[in-house]
Formats: sequence, C-alpha cells, structure tokens
Amino acid sequence: MPMEFLKEKHIEYIKSLDAKQGDLEYWLSEHLRLNGVYWGLTALCILDAKDTFKKEDIVNFVLSCWVKSTGGFSPFPRHDAHLLTTLSGIQILSIYNSLDALTEEQIEKCVEFIKKNQLEDGSFQGDRFGEVDTRFIYTALSSLSILGRLTPEIVDPAVDYILKCYNFDGGFGLSPGSESHAAQAFTCLGALAVVGKVNKLSKSQIDKIGWWLCERQLPEGGLNGRPSKLPDVCYSWWVLSSLAIINKLNWIDYKKLRHFILSSQDTKRGGISDRPDNEVDVFHTLFGITGLSLMGFENLNPIDPVYCMPCEVTSKFKKYPY
Amino acid sequence: MHGVKRRQWSRELLKQKRIEDEKKIKQYRSLVDTVLNLKETQIYTKDSLKLSKEVLQWNPEFNTVWNFRRDIIENVKGQLDVTFWEDELNFTMAELKKFPKVYWIWNHRVWVLKNHIDSSLKIWQRELIIVNKLLDMDARNFHGWHYRRRIIKVIEDRTGKSNDHEELELTTQKINKNISNFSAWHQRVQLITRMNDTDEFENRKEFITNEIDYITNAMFTDAEDQSVWFYMEWFLEYEMVSKVLNHNEYTTILNKFQSNILIINEDDKEFSGKENPWCLKMLIIIEKLQTNLGIEIKDGKSKEWIAKLIEADPLRKNRYLYLLHEEK
Repeated sequence: MPMEFLKEKHIEYIKSLDAKQGDLEYWLSEHLRLNGVYWGLTALCILDAKDTFKKEDIVNFVLSCWVKSTGGFSPFPRHDAHLLTTLSGIQILSIYNSLDALTEEQIEKCVEFIKKNQLEDGSFQGDRFGEVDTRFIYTALSSLSILGRLTPEIVDPAVDYILKCYNFDGGFGLSPGSESHAAQAFTCLGALAVVGKVNKLSKSQIDKIGWWLCERQLPEGGLNGRPSKLPDVCYSWWVLSSLAIINKLNWIDYKKLRHFILSSQDTKRGGISDRPDNEVDVFHTLFGITGLSLMGFENLNPIDPVYCMPCEVTSKFKKYPY
Repeated sequence: MHGVKRRQWSRELLKQKRIEDEKKIKQYRSLVDTVLNLKETQIYTKDSLKLSKEVLQWNPEFNTVWNFRRDIIENVKGQLDVTFWEDELNFTMAELKKFPKVYWIWNHRVWVLKNHIDSSLKIWQRELIIVNKLLDMDARNFHGWHYRRRIIKVIEDRTGKSNDHEELELTTQKINKNISNFSAWHQRVQLITRMNDTDEFENRKEFITNEIDYITNAMFTDAEDQSVWFYMEWFLEYEMVSKVLNHNEYTTILNKFQSNILIINEDDKEFSGKENPWCLKMLIIIEKLQTNLGIEIKDGKSKEWIAKLIEADPLRKNRYLYLLHEEK
C-alpha cells in the first residue's frame, strides 16, 4: 500500500483523459463530459496545476455546450441542457474568470432556465421532465450565486423545502420522506450555506447532523454514505464538506481517512478509485483530493466546502443576501 | 468507477481492446449521430422510436435520448397501442435489472406509468408487486424505496385510502429478514409519524407496547448494528410515546431500556473485553431523557460513559470531547 500522495501521477492521469478517444468508454460517457471537465479542472487547481488544461480550448468547449433553445448547458454539444451540467458550465467559466465569455443575453437566458425549473413548493426539477431531487436545489442555487442572481423569491421557498428533507436521524434525503444519504447532506447543507441560511437549523439539529455524519467513518478509515454500506472515497467529500459547513470537520479521524484515500490511488497510472483496487475515474480522483485538501494534508490548495471550487476563486463571490 | 475492479492492462491487451473498440465506436457514433439528427429535425416516427431504443440499449445514461424518446411518444401517441406501453415497461425493467442505480431509467418508468394507455389503477397496483421484487434483489436500493413511495402516493391519491398499515407490515418483514436494513427502519419512522398524525392507530398504547418489545428484541439480536440504535433513539424521543404513556410508564420504560443496555454492554465486555460504543451512546441519551423528565439522578454516569467512548470509539474522539465540554 502506498502511503505517499502521488501528485504528479494524478496530474498525468487527468491530462490523459481526453486522449482516450480510442476507448469505447470515452464515447459512452459523453453525457458526463462537461461535469468531467469540471471535476478534472478543479482537481488540477487543488493540485496547483491549473495550466495543465489549455484555458482557451476549455472555455470554447463550455461555450459549445450552451443550448440556445433553453438557455442552460448540456454535457456535450447536441445534448439537452440540465441543471446538473449548467452548474458545471458556470463553475468552469468562473474558475477561468471567463463568465464574460457569455453575452448578457446568454446569461439572462441561463438565469431564466434555472428559475423556470423551480416548482411551487420551492424544489427544483432537473429539466422539463420533472425529476425532483435536492441535488437540483443545490445546483440551481449555487449557479445563481456564482452569477450573483439570487433573490428572496427563489431562496425562501427553496430553504423551506430543504428543511423538509431533514430526517429524524440527522441526515437529509433527496426529497421529504426519503432516506438520509451523505451526498444529500452536502446538497442540502451546501445549498443552505450558499444562501447564508445554515442558521435555520437549531443547535440540536446541527449536533445531530454532526453525529450522523461522523458515524459514516468505518474502522478501516473510509466513509460510507448510509449505515451498513461500504466505504467509498467520494464520501470523503460529501461527508467532510458537510462537516466543514457545520464547523465539525474534526469529528472524524483524519489519519485513518487519509490512509483510506491514499490506498485507493492507482500507483501505476495515477487517479483515485472508490475503494482500494478498483478502477479509477476523475470523479473519485477529485473527491479524494478535495477530501485531503479539507483535512490539510499534502500541501494542497484550499477547496471551498460550500462550492467545491478553489477558495481562491470563491473568495471573490458576492455573498447573498446582497 | 463504482464497484469496478481495477485491471492492469498490458500493452498487448490494450492493443487488442483498441482494435475491438474501434469497430464498436464507429457503430455507436454513427447510430448516435443518426438519432441526434432525427431529434434536431424533429422526426417523430416509429422508426425514430426504434433507433432511440437502440442508443439507450448501448447507453442507458444518455438522458438526452430518453428525452427525445418521450417527445417521440408524445407525438405518435395516437398510433401506440397497449402492447407498446407494456413493451416500454418491459424495456425499462430489463435496463433496471442491469443498471439499478441509473436515475434516468427510474424516471422514465414513472413517466411511462403516468402516460400508459391503460390508465386504470391496476397498472399501479401491479407496479407495487414489481417494485417488491426489485427490493428483494437489493433491499437497500434507495432508488427503489423512493420509487415505491411515489407509486404508493399515486395509489393512495386515487383510492382515497391509506396504505400505511400494509406498508408498515412490509417494513417489519424487511427488518425481520435483515435487521441492518436501515432503509426499512427509516420507512418505519415515516409511516408511524404519519399514522400518528392522521390518527390511524386503533390503540396507540398497544402499538407502543408492542414496538418497545420489537426494539428490545432487535437490540438483543444485533447490538453492533447502528440501524437499531438510531431507530431506538428516535422512538424514545418521539412525542407520541412520551404523551401516550403516563409519567410512571414512560419512566419505567426508560429504566428498563437502561438496564437491558447495561446487560448487553456487560456481556460484550465479558466476550470481547471491550465496551460496546452504541450501548454507551444510548445510555447517555437515556440519562438525558430521564433528566428532562425531572427525575433526580443521584449518580449521573454520562461523563463516565463519554470518557469510556473516547477509548472505545477513538475515530469519533473529538465528538466525545465536545460532548464532555457540553456536559459542564
């Protein structure tokens, strides 16, 4: 087991991703491409290797994913826009300080696209087909926050809805009544934090959330997403960022989690997998690295637990209420 | 990738894979191109239906093609008979069996049910039996549970009758099969809360008494599993319990849990030489409930238990230090 963080190999791995066009998997994952670029770019920023990607190429790719008919971003040219990919598009442009690559009209249409997907009860659907999930509240509020376009009309009902997703055990579900899941803790707490409303939760709720989150750590050090499930590196992000938002980051054992993340590295080709000896991917690579960054290991650049973007970028955001 | 074993590719193997992939990539990309052309030119025909299905069989995560497929169906609805709708359900089921965690497939299936030419209730009731089978395959699939709640909601809205009693029975069956099924414990909380709110219990007290037995059994069955403890904590703090039971009854229940948990912890210590962290955590909560009831506790042990937890459960040491600080 390597106990060393393979920084250079991870950079090489992320760099190699776009050169995999000879693999069928590359084409079967087009629907994740814009998210993938965001995951890769954010990881590179945290690794202090932002210049590995060519800014101009990436910005052009993002622009090619903007969908004129709806105003949102799609994962790949010719695909449909969705809230999940709209956030990725905005995040990438923001990291490159290139939101001005969009015209005012494009930004207007994009804001409209996001707002139009909010439902009566404050929740958001991902697109016109009506899937509702707290993931989409997060992506909508985070996108609007980066664009500086949050308003009480959007925020207040969304906050009410999020509070309905809080469960008896201290976790959050994807909708009211759904089982607690650590990724949903991030989307709910992250959304509350984006709009400055974490204080809507009482002290006893916060303590309970912290309890449920720290119980995700298993003896081997990794974190799971729900009771009695296997550990997975991506929860290093969902759980840790949530703990960071409620100021209880140190309620888990850093050393053991670090060990688990480092054991999930591919020592030959770089990249990090969900758990030791599994296939690596850019999603787990990012969330392993951001987890390590939150814990202050490996001399990494700081990541913002609310936006999952480099602090250097988010420190310039206008904080709601404006 | 989630749950996929890492392979070390030799140069030889990689070369062979690339050769095999080359043909498939050509085929797939050409098919995708055709379907996206049909989408962009809004060709909504049965032929488009067939081709969109082919893409989704290659790649069930291609949400744009699911969207296109729904647009086609909307447009040719008049030409589609019951066989089409049943085939569509079969198609999504075949995909769900292969990819039970793909959100897009679950959503498409709900959409199909909502638009099915047979709008009778029996389509939804049949769906309940089907989702049972899916939950038998993976009793923790949260997509499956979420889907089940959506189906139940439709049935209840249409019959005007609550399914809570049947659903509660289902959670009992699931828990009896596997006590660590937290998805079922979670659902139990949702149901009991609703049944209490809408006055569905014939006899609350009888229900509470039975539930206490059920929890006690569960705790003795598997004291290592956090599911039972999370549930127990909720139940003991649940306002229905403290309201329906009188002061003495509630106090007696708390005392009984306390002594049983102490027994389990002693047994664990004897067996493994270690304290059971969940027993300690629960004892702290019970002592707090007793204090809140105004019971005078001469010899409070919470601090001692927290101190033991720092040793017994060092991963969460900082939480226990926080609790110690709060005790002051």
